[in-house]
Amino acid sequence: MSASWLSAQTTVVPGAPAVIEAKHSELGISDWLLRMHEASRKRAYIGTFVVSSGANMSSARIWHVCDGDLQMERVESLSGAPRSTFRRNEQVITFLPESKTALSEKRESLGLFPDLLKSADSSIEQFYAAKQTGSERVAGFDADVVVLQPKDGLRFGYRVWSEKKSGLVVKLQTLNVDGHVVEQAAFSELQLDAPVSMGKLTQMMGNTEGYRVEKPELVKTTAIAEGWTMKSTVAGFKPMSCYKRPVSAPDGANPESTMQWIFSDGLASVSLFVEAFDRRRHVQEGSMTIGATNTMTRRLSDKTGDWWLTVVGEVPRNTLVAFSQGLERKK
Amino acid sequence: MTRHDKLITHEQVSALADGQLGGDELGDVLAELAESDEALAAWHCYHVVGDVLRAGDLGDTRGDMAFVSRLRSRLVAPGGLQLNDEAVVLDDFRTGLAAPNAGVVAPRVLSTESANDSSRRWKLVAGLASMIAVVAVGWHLSSVDAGLGTAAELAAAPAANTAAVASIAQPAASGLIEPTVMLRDARLDELLAAHKQFGGTSALQMPAGFLRNATFETASR
Repeated sequence: MSASWLSAQTTVVPGAPAVIEAKHSELGISDWLLRMHEASRKRAYIGTFVVSSGANMSSARIWHVCDGDLQMERVESLSGAPRSTFRRNEQVITFLPESKTALSEKRESLGLFPDLLKSADSSIEQFYAAKQTGSERVAGFDADVVVLQPKDGLRFGYRVWSEKKSGLVVKLQTLNVDGHVVEQAAFSELQLDAPVSMGKLTQMMGNTEGYRVEKPELVKTTAIAEGWTMKSTVAGFKPMSCYKRPVSAPDGANPESTMQWIFSDGLASVSLFVEAFDRRRHVQEGSMTIGATNTMTRRLSDKTGDWWLTVVGEVPRNTLVAFSQGLERKK
Repeated sequence: MTRHDKLITHEQVSALADGQLGGDELGDVLAELAESDEALAAWHCYHVVGDVLRAGDLGDTRGDMAFVSRLRSRLVAPGGLQLNDEAVVLDDFRTGLAAPNAGVVAPRVLSTESANDSSRRWKLVAGLASMIAVVAVGWHLSSVDAGLGTAAELAAAPAANTAAVASIAQPAASGLIEPTVMLRDARLDELLAAHKQFGGTSALQMPAGFLRNATFETASR
């Protein structure tokens, strides 16, 4: 009975929109993700973006423009401390006018996609399923609503609103294992194909006069080189990169560094931060939830020493536990 | 009504600081402020707390690592502060992040601690700063020095404190009882920011992930 009702719904509805929806409903998760990604690479837009996480809400004004392979973006915070972020492909600079500081950094993760999806060992389809659940209007645009449903309890689900013509993501919800929304981001107002001047953005991004420009002191490394391995891996999560960064000890007398080992299942990511255990600073183990982001802190001990592990990720807490239990000292 | 000492409470001073008092109550509190040094000190205290919470620079916790360390040491010291006694941590207002279940935890904390000092302390903060992110914390009292003790062992222990922790903790899928929420500090903010910068390895990164992180940046940036 219900099966025949479902098939009737997908096949009998007449008219052009039904044709589009039928076509979209055949898309797999990789098709959806590529479509959403390509949309942001090919369209210029101006909009107001709102993020709500837990009980809090932030908003920003967005300018986006592209020219061939070059992508530029300007994000002007409307809530909290004033902050302007500019992105030119992987290069990101954040201006903090209150402290007259500009943080300049290269975010390699931005360049990983869509190779992440195209690569043969992409496991996104193995751990998530995409299902179009309907159509809704967001910021004045008709959008397809697509649910990216996790196939196990180690990751969150997502509900994505993808603008019908371009595929642009106009709204995104992160859903916990019970299907409740834990974080939400959306355009409250959007102007597609807006006149955004790349020259002007480039000029603004380059104008650091009066600002102290800071660059994160990062060294690329590998977990093995740092003496760490995963004795039991967490299903679907692959190591993506590993960095060392200096610890900013309060007294400035600590030259130790922190390792950041990053894992991703294609949609969610987890960072493992490992540093030498310091009795003065590392007092309290615990965990915390901020919207979709969970953190967990643990002391690790073995024959060769003690470490302080902080696991951070947009994943359920038990996934962080699995990571903390899988990490092993190899030196 | 000639003596106000016992009549006005810190809650009323807090309400006054929030601009929520009116009528006779307002008159009483103002009269008390004029007479009592203690009430005046409370008034000043609420304003300092409010200023710190509202001002981005003042609320920056990086300079307060030593204070946080001392607080933590006291919290975990044997015979130190009891569970929930300081179960309130002011988060950085600019960060504006809070545990989504804070609202659920807080009433329970209050209900177990009816009109005593600690609930007043909670109200001292929460009343003034209802728009501020407040992370409710149930302390997991075993200090690191005392050894780890798995969460499951903690849950099984009969100690009253542990039971209270377990009652507000969510059982994880693995069957472990997580030791609730931890004190948010500048260091954790740094790691959260680092995760957002370099750990944002997601196919949803463009554009939603990047915009999300740029819009919702942590305070340590």
